[in-house]
Amino acid sequence: MEFDELQKIWDSQTKEPLWAINENALYNHILAKKKQASHIANFSELLILIVYTGVGSLMIGLNVVKSTAGNLWLYLMAAWMLGTVFYVLTHRIRRLQGGNTFGRSLLGELDYAVLMATYQVRLSQLMRWNIVPVGILSLLGVWKVGQSIWLVLGLVLFFALSYFAGGWEHGIYTAKKRELEALRKKLEKE
Amino acid sequence: MSEIEQNHIFETWLDQYRALLFKVVRAYASTTMDQEDLFQEIIIQVWHSIPAFRQQCSNSTWLYRIALNTALKWGSKERKHADSQESLDNVQAILQETKVEVDERLTWLYEEIHKLDEVDRSITLLLLDGFSYKEMATIVGISESNIGVKINRIKKQLITKSKQQNYHGI
Repeated sequence: MEFDELQKIWDSQTKEPLWAINENALYNHILAKKKQASHIANFSELLILIVYTGVGSLMIGLNVVKSTAGNLWLYLMAAWMLGTVFYVLTHRIRRLQGGNTFGRSLLGELDYAVLMATYQVRLSQLMRWNIVPVGILSLLGVWKVGQSIWLVLGLVLFFALSYFAGGWEHGIYTAKKRELEALRKKLEKE
Repeated sequence: MSEIEQNHIFETWLDQYRALLFKVVRAYASTTMDQEDLFQEIIIQVWHSIPAFRQQCSNSTWLYRIALNTALKWGSKERKHADSQESLDNVQAILQETKVEVDERLTWLYEEIHKLDEVDRSITLLLLDGFSYKEMATIVGISESNIGVKINRIKKQLITKSKQQNYHGI
Protein backbone atom coordinates (compact mmCIF):
# COMPACT_ATOMS: atom_id res chain seq x y z
CA MET A 1 0.00 0.00 0.00
CA GLU A 2 1.37 3.42 -0.94
CA PHE A 3 1.94 6.21 1.51
CA ASP A 4 -0.56 8.54 -0.22
CA GLU A 5 -3.33 6.17 0.74
CA LEU A 6 -2.25 6.16 4.37
CA GLN A 7 -2.34 9.95 4.21
CA LYS A 8 -5.95 9.89 2.92
CA ILE A 9 -6.99 7.69 5.83
CA TRP A 10 -5.18 10.09 8.14
CA ASP A 11 -6.91 13.15 6.69
CA SER A 12 -10.36 11.62 7.14
CA GLN A 13 -10.27 12.19 10.91
CA THR A 14 -10.05 15.97 10.57
CA LYS A 15 -13.67 16.05 9.43
CA GLU A 16 -15.10 14.25 12.44
CA PRO A 17 -13.08 14.75 15.62
CA LEU A 18 -13.00 11.81 18.00
CA TRP A 19 -13.70 13.98 21.03
CA ALA A 20 -15.83 16.93 21.99
CA ILE A 21 -14.43 19.42 24.48
CA ASN A 22 -16.24 20.09 27.72
CA GLU A 23 -15.81 23.89 27.70
CA ASN A 24 -16.67 24.36 31.37
CA ALA A 25 -14.18 21.77 32.55
CA LEU A 26 -11.58 23.25 30.22
CA TYR A 27 -11.84 26.79 31.61
CA ASN A 28 -11.96 25.58 35.19
CA HIS A 29 -8.76 23.67 34.52
CA ILE A 30 -7.02 26.66 32.96
CA LEU A 31 -8.15 28.88 35.78
CA ALA A 32 -6.78 26.43 38.34
CA LYS A 33 -3.49 25.87 36.57
CA LYS A 34 -2.50 29.18 35.06
CA LYS A 35 -1.02 30.64 38.22
CA GLN A 36 0.27 27.40 39.59
CA ALA A 37 4.05 27.11 39.91
CA SER A 38 4.31 23.60 38.66
CA HIS A 39 8.01 22.96 38.48
CA ILE A 40 9.68 20.75 41.03
CA ALA A 41 12.78 22.95 40.82
CA ASN A 42 10.69 25.88 41.96
CA PHE A 43 9.41 23.97 44.98
CA SER A 44 12.87 22.66 45.99
CA GLU A 45 14.42 26.11 45.69
CA LEU A 46 11.71 27.84 47.68
CA LEU A 47 11.89 25.20 50.39
CA ILE A 48 15.68 25.57 50.66
CA LEU A 49 15.46 29.37 50.66
CA ILE A 50 12.79 29.50 53.37
CA VAL A 51 14.26 26.81 55.65
CA TYR A 52 17.89 27.93 55.37
CA THR A 53 17.09 31.64 55.75
CA GLY A 54 14.86 30.88 58.74
CA VAL A 55 17.28 28.56 60.53
CA GLY A 56 20.36 30.67 59.67
CA SER A 57 18.74 33.87 60.97
CA LEU A 58 17.44 32.09 64.07
CA MET A 59 20.96 30.81 64.84
CA ILE A 60 22.42 34.32 64.66
CA GLY A 61 19.54 35.73 66.72
CA LEU A 62 19.89 33.09 69.43
CA ASN A 63 23.66 33.45 69.48
CA VAL A 64 23.41 37.19 69.98
CA VAL A 65 20.51 37.29 72.45
CA LYS A 66 20.72 34.03 74.39
CA SER A 67 23.30 32.37 76.58
CA THR A 68 24.93 30.62 73.63
CA ALA A 69 26.60 33.92 72.73
CA GLY A 70 30.15 33.37 71.61
CA ASN A 71 29.56 29.85 70.27
CA LEU A 72 31.75 30.02 67.19
CA TRP A 73 30.41 26.76 65.71
CA LEU A 74 26.85 28.08 65.63
CA TYR A 75 28.00 31.33 64.03
CA LEU A 76 29.84 29.31 61.39
CA MET A 77 26.77 27.17 60.75
CA ALA A 78 24.55 30.25 60.35
CA ALA A 79 27.08 31.76 57.92
CA TRP A 80 27.20 28.48 55.96
CA MET A 81 23.40 28.35 55.73
CA LEU A 82 23.07 31.95 54.59
CA GLY A 83 25.87 31.33 52.06
CA THR A 84 23.83 28.42 50.69
CA VAL A 85 20.79 30.72 50.42
CA PHE A 86 22.85 33.20 48.40
CA TYR A 87 24.10 30.43 46.08
CA VAL A 88 20.59 29.00 45.48
CA LEU A 89 19.10 32.46 45.02
CA THR A 90 21.60 33.51 42.33
CA HIS A 91 21.06 30.24 40.45
CA ARG A 92 17.29 30.60 40.76
CA ILE A 93 17.39 34.09 39.21
CA ARG A 94 19.55 32.79 36.35
CA ARG A 95 17.17 29.85 35.81
CA LEU A 96 14.05 32.03 35.75
CA GLN A 97 15.64 34.45 33.28
CA GLY A 98 16.23 31.59 30.82
CA GLY A 99 12.82 29.97 31.13
CA ASN A 100 9.41 30.22 29.45
CA THR A 101 10.65 30.52 25.90
CA PHE A 102 7.91 28.98 23.81
CA GLY A 103 8.17 28.01 20.19
CA ARG A 104 11.53 26.28 20.44
CA SER A 105 12.25 23.34 18.17
CA LEU A 106 11.89 19.87 19.70
CA LEU A 107 15.66 19.67 19.97
CA GLY A 108 15.84 23.15 21.55
CA GLU A 109 13.14 22.23 24.04
CA LEU A 110 14.91 18.99 24.94
CA ASP A 111 18.21 20.85 25.34
CA TYR A 112 16.47 23.19 27.76
CA ALA A 113 14.83 20.30 29.61
CA VAL A 114 18.23 18.57 29.95
CA LEU A 115 19.74 21.82 31.23
CA MET A 116 16.99 22.11 33.85
CA ALA A 117 17.38 18.46 34.82
CA THR A 118 21.15 18.98 35.18
CA TYR A 119 20.46 21.93 37.44
CA GLN A 120 18.05 19.85 39.52
CA VAL A 121 20.63 17.04 39.80
CA ARG A 122 23.32 19.52 40.91
CA LEU A 123 20.98 21.18 43.39
CA SER A 124 19.95 17.87 44.97
CA GLN A 125 23.61 16.76 45.09
CA LEU A 126 24.62 20.05 46.68
CA MET A 127 21.86 19.83 49.28
CA ARG A 128 22.77 16.24 50.07
CA TRP A 129 26.44 17.03 50.68
CA ASN A 130 25.46 20.20 52.49
CA ILE A 131 24.03 18.01 55.24
CA VAL A 132 27.61 17.00 56.17
CA PRO A 133 29.00 20.46 57.13
CA VAL A 134 25.65 21.56 58.63
CA GLY A 135 25.53 18.33 60.67
CA ILE A 136 29.13 18.61 61.88
CA LEU A 137 28.76 22.29 62.82
CA SER A 138 25.47 21.56 64.65
CA LEU A 139 27.03 18.73 66.62
CA LEU A 140 30.05 20.85 67.52
CA GLY A 141 27.74 23.68 68.60
CA VAL A 142 25.64 21.34 70.75
CA TRP A 143 28.78 19.74 72.24
CA LYS A 144 30.19 23.19 73.08
CA VAL A 145 27.14 24.08 75.23
CA GLY A 146 27.23 20.68 76.93
CA GLN A 147 23.90 19.19 75.84
CA SER A 148 22.96 15.58 76.69
CA ILE A 149 24.31 12.62 74.75
CA TRP A 150 20.73 11.73 73.70
CA LEU A 151 20.29 15.02 71.95
CA VAL A 152 23.60 14.49 70.15
CA LEU A 153 22.57 10.95 69.12
CA GLY A 154 19.17 12.23 68.00
CA LEU A 155 20.87 14.83 65.84
CA VAL A 156 23.24 12.23 64.33
CA LEU A 157 20.24 10.04 63.45
CA PHE A 158 18.36 13.00 61.96
CA PHE A 159 21.27 14.05 59.76
CA ALA A 160 21.95 10.44 58.68
CA LEU A 161 18.30 9.99 57.64
CA SER A 162 18.33 13.33 55.81
CA TYR A 163 21.49 12.26 53.98
CA PHE A 164 19.92 8.98 52.80
CA ALA A 165 16.63 10.67 51.85
CA GLY A 166 18.70 13.19 49.86
CA GLY A 167 20.35 10.30 48.01
CA TRP A 168 16.96 8.85 47.11
CA GLU A 169 15.75 12.22 45.79
CA HIS A 170 18.99 12.71 43.86
CA GLY A 171 18.52 9.28 42.25
CA ILE A 172 15.07 10.28 40.93
CA TYR A 173 16.42 13.45 39.32
CA THR A 174 19.40 11.60 37.83
CA ALA A 175 17.11 8.98 36.25
CA LYS A 176 14.92 11.74 34.79
CA LYS A 177 17.97 13.47 33.35
CA ARG A 178 19.19 10.22 31.76
CA GLU A 179 15.78 9.68 30.14
CA LEU A 180 15.85 13.16 28.62
CA GLU A 181 19.41 12.66 27.36
CA ALA A 182 18.39 9.35 25.77
CA LEU A 183 15.48 11.09 24.07
CA ARG A 184 17.80 13.79 22.78
CA LYS A 185 20.19 11.16 21.41
CA LYS A 186 17.28 9.48 19.59
CA LEU A 187 16.31 12.79 18.03
CA GLU A 188 19.76 13.44 16.61
CA LYS A 189 20.45 9.87 15.53
CA GLU A 190 19.97 9.18 11.78
CA MET B 1 -1.50 41.35 25.84
CA SER B 2 -4.70 41.51 27.86
CA GLU B 3 -6.34 38.40 29.25
CA ILE B 4 -9.40 39.02 27.07
CA GLU B 5 -7.23 39.01 23.92
CA GLN B 6 -5.44 35.90 25.13
CA ASN B 7 -8.75 34.13 25.76
CA HIS B 8 -10.03 35.16 22.34
CA ILE B 9 -6.97 33.75 20.55
CA PHE B 10 -7.15 30.60 22.65
CA GLU B 11 -10.81 30.02 21.76
CA THR B 12 -10.14 30.62 18.06
CA TRP B 13 -7.18 28.24 18.03
CA LEU B 14 -9.08 25.58 19.91
CA ASP B 15 -11.98 25.88 17.52
CA GLN B 16 -9.84 25.71 14.38
CA TYR B 17 -7.07 23.35 15.41
CA ARG B 18 -8.62 20.95 17.89
CA ALA B 19 -8.16 18.07 15.42
CA LEU B 20 -4.42 18.79 15.33
CA LEU B 21 -4.21 18.61 19.13
CA PHE B 22 -6.29 15.44 19.22
CA LYS B 23 -3.93 13.77 16.74
CA VAL B 24 -0.94 14.45 18.99
CA VAL B 25 -2.84 13.25 22.06
CA ARG B 26 -3.95 10.06 20.36
CA ALA B 27 -0.46 9.34 19.00
CA TYR B 28 1.23 9.72 22.40
CA ALA B 29 -1.34 8.47 24.89
CA SER B 30 -3.35 5.28 24.68
CA THR B 31 -5.55 5.04 27.76
CA THR B 32 -8.44 7.41 28.45
CA MET B 33 -6.75 8.75 31.59
CA ASP B 34 -3.48 9.36 29.76
CA GLN B 35 -5.25 11.08 26.88
CA GLU B 36 -7.07 13.35 29.31
CA ASP B 37 -3.85 14.05 31.19
CA LEU B 38 -1.82 14.84 28.08
CA PHE B 39 -4.58 16.99 26.58
CA GLN B 40 -4.72 19.04 29.79
CA GLU B 41 -0.93 19.51 29.71
CA ILE B 42 -1.04 20.59 26.08
CA ILE B 43 -3.85 23.12 26.44
CA ILE B 44 -2.14 24.71 29.44
CA GLN B 45 1.07 25.09 27.44
CA VAL B 46 -0.88 26.46 24.46
CA TRP B 47 -2.60 29.00 26.70
CA HIS B 48 0.72 30.11 28.23
CA SER B 49 2.39 30.30 24.81
CA ILE B 50 -0.05 32.81 23.31
CA PRO B 51 1.75 36.02 24.47
CA ALA B 52 5.02 34.63 23.04
CA PHE B 53 3.53 34.01 19.57
CA ARG B 54 5.07 36.52 17.14
CA GLN B 55 3.43 35.20 13.95
CA GLN B 56 6.81 34.20 12.51
CA CYS B 57 5.26 30.87 11.55
CA SER B 58 1.73 29.67 10.83
CA ASN B 59 -0.68 28.97 13.69
CA SER B 60 -0.64 25.24 12.93
CA THR B 61 3.18 25.09 12.98
CA TRP B 62 3.22 26.91 16.32
CA LEU B 63 0.58 24.62 17.80
CA TYR B 64 2.38 21.53 16.54
CA ARG B 65 5.58 22.75 18.21
CA ILE B 66 3.87 23.35 21.51
CA ALA B 67 1.88 20.10 21.38
CA LEU B 68 4.81 17.92 20.32
CA ASN B 69 7.21 19.48 22.82
CA THR B 70 4.69 18.83 25.57
CA ALA B 71 3.98 15.29 24.40
CA LEU B 72 7.69 14.41 24.13
CA LYS B 73 8.39 15.54 27.69
CA TRP B 74 5.14 14.05 28.95
CA GLY B 75 6.15 10.72 27.40
CA SER B 76 9.43 10.75 29.28
CA LYS B 77 7.71 11.06 32.64
CA GLU B 78 7.20 8.01 34.79
CA ARG B 79 4.63 5.47 33.57
CA LYS B 80 1.22 7.08 33.56
CA HIS B 81 -2.14 5.57 34.33
CA ALA B 82 -1.72 2.48 32.14
CA ASP B 83 -1.99 0.08 35.08
CA SER B 84 -3.85 2.41 37.36
CA GLN B 85 -7.27 1.65 38.79
CA GLU B 86 -7.84 5.37 39.14
CA SER B 87 -11.27 6.31 37.87
CA LEU B 88 -12.34 9.27 35.79
CA ASP B 89 -15.20 9.83 38.24
CA ASN B 90 -12.87 11.87 40.47
CA VAL B 91 -11.90 14.36 37.81
CA GLN B 92 -13.97 16.63 35.65
CA ALA B 93 -13.24 15.23 32.20
CA ILE B 94 -12.43 17.75 29.48
CA LEU B 95 -12.55 15.28 26.60
CA GLN B 96 -15.84 13.59 25.83
CA GLU B 97 -16.01 10.87 23.23
CA THR B 98 -18.25 11.61 20.27
CA LYS B 99 -20.28 9.01 18.45
CA VAL B 100 -18.05 8.93 15.42
CA GLU B 101 -17.98 5.76 13.36
CA VAL B 102 -14.64 4.11 14.10
CA ASP B 103 -12.48 3.69 11.04
CA GLU B 104 -10.54 0.47 11.63
CA ARG B 105 -7.82 1.55 9.23
CA LEU B 106 -7.24 4.73 11.20
CA THR B 107 -7.17 2.75 14.46
CA TRP B 108 -4.58 0.45 12.87
CA LEU B 109 -2.52 3.46 11.72
CA TYR B 110 -2.51 4.91 15.26
CA GLU B 111 -1.47 1.54 16.66
CA GLU B 112 1.48 1.49 14.29
CA ILE B 113 2.41 5.09 15.13
CA HIS B 114 2.27 4.17 18.80
CA LYS B 115 4.81 1.41 18.23
CA LEU B 116 7.37 3.96 16.99
CA ASP B 117 9.65 5.72 19.45
CA GLU B 118 8.65 9.17 20.73
CA VAL B 119 10.80 11.04 18.22
CA ASP B 120 9.65 9.08 15.16
CA ARG B 121 6.04 9.59 16.27
CA SER B 122 6.50 13.37 16.03
CA ILE B 123 8.01 13.12 12.57
CA THR B 124 5.26 10.74 11.40
CA LEU B 125 2.53 13.14 12.52
CA LEU B 126 4.16 16.03 10.69
CA LEU B 127 4.68 13.88 7.62
CA LEU B 128 1.09 12.66 7.53
CA ASP B 129 -0.13 16.24 7.94
CA GLY B 130 1.80 17.26 4.86
CA PHE B 131 4.60 19.42 6.32
CA SER B 132 7.59 19.93 4.02
CA TYR B 133 11.07 18.62 4.94
CA LYS B 134 12.16 22.18 5.58
CA GLU B 135 9.25 22.88 7.93
CA MET B 136 9.82 19.60 9.73
CA ALA B 137 13.52 20.34 10.13
CA THR B 138 12.65 23.71 11.71
CA ILE B 139 10.03 22.23 14.04
CA VAL B 140 12.21 19.31 15.11
CA GLY B 141 15.52 21.22 15.16
CA ILE B 142 17.59 18.77 13.11
CA SER B 143 18.94 18.97 9.53
CA GLU B 144 16.75 18.33 6.47
CA SER B 145 18.99 15.42 5.48
CA ASN B 146 18.50 13.81 8.90
CA ILE B 147 14.74 14.32 8.52
CA GLY B 148 14.94 12.71 5.09
CA VAL B 149 16.72 9.63 6.46
CA LYS B 150 14.18 9.23 9.26
CA ILE B 151 11.22 9.70 6.89
CA ASN B 152 12.48 7.09 4.45
CA ARG B 153 12.80 4.58 7.27
CA ILE B 154 9.35 5.43 8.72
CA LYS B 155 7.64 5.29 5.30
CA LYS B 156 9.19 1.90 4.50
CA GLN B 157 8.16 0.58 7.89
CA LEU B 158 4.54 1.77 7.58
CA ILE B 159 4.13 0.56 4.01
CA THR B 160 5.56 -2.88 4.87
CA LYS B 161 3.25 -3.17 7.89
CA SER B 162 0.22 -2.10 5.86
CA LYS B 163 0.97 -4.84 3.33
CA GLN B 164 1.24 -7.41 6.11
CA GLN B 165 -2.06 -6.26 7.56
CA ASN B 166 -4.03 -6.04 4.31
CA TYR B 167 -7.00 -7.82 5.91
CA HIS B 168 -7.68 -4.46 7.55
CA GLY B 169 -8.62 -3.25 4.09
CA ILE B 170 -5.71 -0.82 3.77
